[in-house]
Amino acid sequence: MQQIINFLIKYRNLLLYLFLMVIALSFTIQSHDYHRNTAIHSTGYLTGNVLSTKTGIYDYFDLDDQNKKLSTENAMLRMKLLEISDTLLGEESTFLFTDNIPYKVFPARVMKNDFYKSDNFITIDIGSDQGIESDMGVICPTGIVGVVDRSSDQFSRVISILNSQISLNAQIKGTATIGSLKWDGNNPYTMSLEDVPRLAKVNKGDTIITGKQSTTFPPDILIGVIKDAELTENGSRYKINVELFNDMTNLDYVNVIKNRDKAALQVIDTLGTNE
Amino acid sequence: MNSTLLNNVLRFVGLLILQIFLLDQINFLGYINPMVYILFIILYPVDNNRWSFMFIAFALGILLDTFQNTGGAHAAACLTLAFVRPVFLKLVYGESYLMKNLKIIRTPIDRLLLLSVLSVITHHLIFFSLVIFNTSQILYTLKLTLSVGIATILIASLFLIIFKPKVKS
Repeated sequence: MQQIINFLIKYRNLLLYLFLMVIALSFTIQSHDYHRNTAIHSTGYLTGNVLSTKTGIYDYFDLDDQNKKLSTENAMLRMKLLEISDTLLGEESTFLFTDNIPYKVFPARVMKNDFYKSDNFITIDIGSDQGIESDMGVICPTGIVGVVDRSSDQFSRVISILNSQISLNAQIKGTATIGSLKWDGNNPYTMSLEDVPRLAKVNKGDTIITGKQSTTFPPDILIGVIKDAELTENGSRYKINVELFNDMTNLDYVNVIKNRDKAALQVIDTLGTNE
Repeated sequence: MNSTLLNNVLRFVGLLILQIFLLDQINFLGYINPMVYILFIILYPVDNNRWSFMFIAFALGILLDTFQNTGGAHAAACLTLAFVRPVFLKLVYGESYLMKNLKIIRTPIDRLLLLSVLSVITHHLIFFSLVIFNTSQILYTLKLTLSVGIATILIASLFLIIFKPKVKS
């Protein structure tokens, strides 16, 4: 007994070190696991409020830039509106503003954005109080940003598309060729579209858009252009490098998308497997 | 409250705020954010109570982890740095540093720099290994350690030079 106590006293520093290290490592491993809820995250009350104060301060430094972006987006939206009103001339158009629209859009601010790690997350300033739930898609004026991971009352954490765990449905514009969009962890400006069949027509410069199979994102949202492509798996599949339209290192205003039909679609999709 | 304790509390809060509000925003070349907050661990008073020192370092790390969504990477790196600091002190100031009632901030700048370099390498290597967490990306981890480490040492030595008390001649 005496020896055990002596041992404990002699190695108390080492034992404390090992104990705390195990805690730290378990937090780290959890943080790399996409499906598990982590204890250490940036949507808590204190952390969230400090981060939003910080965003408030840094806002003043790029008002100019943001104004330009907003006015460009306004111009684009106006063009689309004109196009719609042109094609809908004389038709019933109140459906555009009813409650039962297929996609609801929530504007949000980015408070925290990472892009140099292999698993990056974004924190935004709206949460379950505003109706945000996990697995909603997040887009910005120039492209896609990520998928909501978890939300507290006022803040939400978004899995960035620059995260090795994420895999999104995407397709080549103008064809029905689909693939899964992944990030290999190196360059924040490119992603890769994998599992594209060899017979698909892949041309450099073609546009990549979100696919119709995705329940997270609306279809036809622009993602990027094809930079180059290579054949993998003994030449049976293409791996396409996609240059993103949006700059993931410079995000500020984003939109969270809620899909009305998501639950219904998922029920249909999983039907056959339960029989 | 004595002045050493007050000094350390101020240093803890000050460096934390500085790190979150200013240094994490630098993004030099897109990914270089110096981690100057480890100056707190480097400059922590020398005494025999390593238990409280390790707890404080761990707490500092966990706090930063919550802000950066890094799980426990900061905590692990800070904890290890606190654990091995006596070894570095022995290396830099000699075997008898415990007898001399050493005040780290008052020591010559060359010794201070050597201590910082050793600490920064240890801390950054552990931190980035845990953040990247992928053995196939060892080269990327080393590249991050080196480039961010150099930035940290530059900014940290700037701080040391500014805040170092003048030696009475």
